Amino acid sequence: MKKLFALFLIVALVLCMVPAAFAADDVTLDVIICQYGPNTNEWFERGGKGMDGSNFVEKFEAANPGIKLNLEVVSWNDVHQVVDTRIANGNAPDILNLDTFSEFLPDGLLLPVKDYCPDELFNDFFPAFMQDFLVDGEYWAVPDLASARALYYNVDILEEVGIEVPTTWAELRDACQAIIDFYDGEIYPWGIDMTTDEGQAAFAYYTWGNGGGFTDENGAWALNSDENVEAIEYAISLVNDGYTNPNPATQTRYDLQDMFAAGKLAMMIGPNQIPTYVKDKGGEINMATASLPANEGKTSASVGVKDVMMAFKDDSAPDQAARNEAIGKFMQFFYDPANYVGWVSMEDFLPAVNSAVEALVEANPSFEAWLNVLATCKFYPTSMAEWAQVRQGVTTVEQNALTGADVRAELDALQAEIAG
Amino acid sequence: MRYPEVRRQNRRMLLLLILGLILTLVLMSLPLYSFDVGVYTKKSGNTFVGDEKYQAVRAEVEAVAEEYRSQGFDVEIREDVLERVNSKGNTTSLVTFTISERYSRSFLSFLGKKLPSSTVLVFMVSLMGAALVFSIAGLAGTDDLVPRYLNRKGRLLRNLAVTALLLALLLVPVFMLMNNVIFSRRLSLYNADLITEGKEAFFSMLDHFFFDGRMGENVGDVLGGLKIQRSPMAWLLLLTLFISLTAAICIRYGEIKSSLLRGALYVFVVIVCVVTLYPYYVMTITAFRSNAETLDMYFLHMAPTRWVWSNLTDIVQRGVPRYLMNSIFVAGGATALAMLCGIPAAYAMARMNFVGKKAFLGFVIMSQMFSPVVLLIGISQLMNTLHLNNTLWGLMLINAAFNQAFAIWLLRGTFVSISSEMEQAAMIDGCGTVGALTKVLIPMAAPGIVTALIFVFINAWNEYTIATVLISTAQNRPITVGITQFSSFNMIEWQYMFAASLLATIPVVILFMSIEKHLTAGLTSGGVKG
Amino acid sequence: MNTGLNRTKWEPYVWLLPSLLLIAIFVVFPILIVFKLSFSEISKAGVIGGFIGFDNYVEAVHLPAFKTVMLNTMWWVLSVVILSTVLGFIIALVLNQKFRGRKIARSILVFPWATSLVIQASVWNYIIKAEYGNLNNVLLNLGIIQQAVNWRSSYQIEFVWECWVGIFVTVPFVTFCVLSGLQSIDGSLYEAATMDGAGFWNKLRHITLPMVRPSLTVSTVLNIIYVFNSFPIVYTMTKGAPAHKTDTMITYLYMLSFYERRKGPATALSVIGFLILCVCAGIYMVSVMRKEEEL
Repeated sequence: MKKLFALFLIVALVLCMVPAAFAADDVTLDVIICQYGPNTNEWFERGGKGMDGSNFVEKFEAANPGIKLNLEVVSWNDVHQVVDTRIANGNAPDILNLDTFSEFLPDGLLLPVKDYCPDELFNDFFPAFMQDFLVDGEYWAVPDLASARALYYNVDILEEVGIEVPTTWAELRDACQAIIDFYDGEIYPWGIDMTTDEGQAAFAYYTWGNGGGFTDENGAWALNSDENVEAIEYAISLVNDGYTNPNPATQTRYDLQDMFAAGKLAMMIGPNQIPTYVKDKGGEINMATASLPANEGKTSASVGVKDVMMAFKDDSAPDQAARNEAIGKFMQFFYDPANYVGWVSMEDFLPAVNSAVEALVEANPSFEAWLNVLATCKFYPTSMAEWAQVRQGVTTVEQNALTGADVRAELDALQAEIAG
Repeated sequence: MRYPEVRRQNRRMLLLLILGLILTLVLMSLPLYSFDVGVYTKKSGNTFVGDEKYQAVRAEVEAVAEEYRSQGFDVEIREDVLERVNSKGNTTSLVTFTISERYSRSFLSFLGKKLPSSTVLVFMVSLMGAALVFSIAGLAGTDDLVPRYLNRKGRLLRNLAVTALLLALLLVPVFMLMNNVIFSRRLSLYNADLITEGKEAFFSMLDHFFFDGRMGENVGDVLGGLKIQRSPMAWLLLLTLFISLTAAICIRYGEIKSSLLRGALYVFVVIVCVVTLYPYYVMTITAFRSNAETLDMYFLHMAPTRWVWSNLTDIVQRGVPRYLMNSIFVAGGATALAMLCGIPAAYAMARMNFVGKKAFLGFVIMSQMFSPVVLLIGISQLMNTLHLNNTLWGLMLINAAFNQAFAIWLLRGTFVSISSEMEQAAMIDGCGTVGALTKVLIPMAAPGIVTALIFVFINAWNEYTIATVLISTAQNRPITVGITQFSSFNMIEWQYMFAASLLATIPVVILFMSIEKHLTAGLTSGGVKG
Repeated sequence: MNTGLNRTKWEPYVWLLPSLLLIAIFVVFPILIVFKLSFSEISKAGVIGGFIGFDNYVEAVHLPAFKTVMLNTMWWVLSVVILSTVLGFIIALVLNQKFRGRKIARSILVFPWATSLVIQASVWNYIIKAEYGNLNNVLLNLGIIQQAVNWRSSYQIEFVWECWVGIFVTVPFVTFCVLSGLQSIDGSLYEAATMDGAGFWNKLRHITLPMVRPSLTVSTVLNIIYVFNSFPIVYTMTKGAPAHKTDTMITYLYMLSFYERRKGPATALSVIGFLILCVCAGIYMVSVMRKEEEL
């Protein structure tokens, strides 16, 4: 027993000596990046081989002596927990990649973009994207990347049944019924994802297709508008009539994509990564895209999602100017087409800067169509302070409605809670 | 010792055995399946009776029906029309044509066919015959002996009879399952072109079974929509065979109760083991699939079509060995520390009287009552203060502290159950209290210590929540956190996730198996005065 | 029990010191922080503000899902602890018999314990998928079912699955605790009872149960605590969907804190959970220990 303890202690001591100390004069940036795909870790983290045999951290440090990166790739499931805990201890990261930024505004935690972003880079971002990051006359974040959602359908299934791609809600219903009749329910006509992580997307698909949405034309929360109630009731009715996958509250977008790839699902709304996903999963289906169906007389709106990069204040840093400059250098290096194009195309995302467009289109001609879609996309109101609560709120409303609750009453209650 | 009443009982039992077998044969000749064969279905969407598309499809169906008729089948065409009015007020219609004929088959009609289940049936019938022969031979000349005094030959023959009947009984579900696989699964998979290997052989086999081989190439189309109805005959067969089996057991042992209990025990243990191992079977078959095959939508395969061993090298390249080392370091260190602190505390609790003893025990239990998720902010603050953020040391200390309660509780029980006489003797010999503890008590309490050790090790090994927040560089990740990199925003790589999990499970299981003996022995002493 | 040798008054406390320090620093300190937080204002991003009295508690109790979640937690703890104790007890009784392959069976039973909960939950999630889950695959291949079954057709059933996984991972712990108790029973006790004509049930009630009660107490108290605080199973399988109807307290306060960003009530809720646990585990322990002393 004694020997065992001694062994433990020796092993412990040896392993303790592994981490090397950083030099004192360097600026060290703590960076948190979210995990987008299977290659994110390898591309970013020290020791990885995903970026031309090297990785972002080592390349950056080689190009910018005097700046050290303490970069960490965190899974989307854990990122809020990690970030919030560190903030609570006054230990916020210097640079953070996330899907929202508004929750950090009220506490004055964020560094304005103008403090670190060089003009050249600032002008390179898509102006429409930047517009959403303007709060109280100041930009607080920059777009990291984007994706756009469209209706994907299995061409063979629709052809065999003898129907056209639905463009209106009524046509969608007809198409679903026809598919159910033809395949005796063996194939799900329509995919719906109202899970805890993506319920807000379902809310956007249907309410935007009915002239409603999260906010009214003045930018105030309008969650319980008549259009929204009608839209959600329509979506729920699709589920109740058996036109969709059976468990929308727990079947995630992965589940839908898997079914779609295997030809078990005829139509679904999904991001532009679906063709790659289907290919990786060995699916051999004949698919095409169309715009999302909308209610009669309403225009169809594409749904876009864009993630952000932001910088945090750190009053304890000895040299604020040097720190801001280092953050700027990080951004410049990241958005440099030589690096950024590889990053965006690796996980099949759409870019957020003009300088990357040319190279991306050259590499993959189908990008152009997606960029056009992106130009007409609507985005979530992520700049509003209540967004996190709204996002969970609408998901809860949908999930309650799935178990039989009244949509109007639920949305009224949510609106009262958020805006009242 | 020969008893006439034993002879009487054995005769009765032999009669029962024969009766069971005869009943079984009778049941075997009764209809088991009825098949709707020759079903041909054609659906045509957006088709109205009489229009162009309808005519085309109708002609196609007629041609098929004609072909059947030319082969001497008496088939008819049924036509179903499903009409609906859609949202625009237009009528849509779906036309379905069906052609069918019905056959019925009994158990015995499988004999002499080329189906794999036919072989099983042959075995079953032979086993039944063998059981009869063995029973009679086993009884010959010794039918008035109490089973305990049987000679070796008699015992062997009667054992063989029991075994043969048991096997025959087990072959009934095997036979039924094989048929299910053939008629429901494989047929539909072949017909949907989801698998192609061995297709011709399969269909010629079915052709032989249903039509004595005269259908030829068309058999695939004919059986396209095969529908089966089962009669409860198989269940009755189980019953009659069980009667025979009971009789054989009585002949062998003179009574039935203890053998049945023994059988039930094995059945129970097997069920528990199968259920326990089931998730690990799933993990294993998924861990060695290609990414494409992790999505096995049509339930094709019980195992990967190709074992992708490179999944292992892939996860090795993505840092898994490093994470495993970190985990071993943290869990090992935490265990050592928990023991170093826990043993003295447990010793004091077991051997000394002092104020606040019960309060300390309560305090220890209370310290367990918050989930780590809740304590994150405090822990993280503490680690900042101690400059232990992002170190394996910090993780180790936390895990040691969180497992104090179990260690102390268990070790205290172990120590209490060991008599203090030996220590006192040692102390009189000049050992201090420390000497008495390390030289006398610890060796004696080794099993209990090993138990606490493994409990703490497993808990530390599986810790996840605190590590996600505390550890911020890839080099320091334990395996539980490392595994999350396989489930990202774009793709969950099930094969890597499960391969890594299996790797993470193996060391613990090996450790566990090697000390399993100590574990139960240790808990014995620990549990007595819990 | 005292060894009878002279000891100074403070000696026991020296022996306790390392353990006491470890727990006080690394467990009690964070617990105190939680208590402090539950009376403080906490912003959406997690910045800690000033003292606000019982506001967080009031808000927590008035949360719309509070009642559902409390009931769920109760069902979750009761069903998992009771069923796994009963199952573990039965399995231990069987594994205590002498039969061929006993060692293998015991080793197999250790597996669920040696795998982390996140992975266990992921595997079961993968198994019961309606469309390409392995359970459907196996049953279809064996011809036991003719069509893929939707194993999670309602949230009640999903909750039952979560309980099942909870039981699955808890049984080995109970089994091994009970086995230890069983092995300490002197075989002559049973022989004597058999001579006196006691049947199976009588022996179980008058010999086996009293002898394994101490180990059952250990496993039950710890299980109540562990199961109450168990987070990965529910979080991995349903994330509380639909609308917190499958959430237990611990997953609900996680959602509240990190998804809805209402950290104040979430912290208050965790303290409420702690108090409930203290009371339940305390009552159980006191009552059981008293019984033991009576024996």
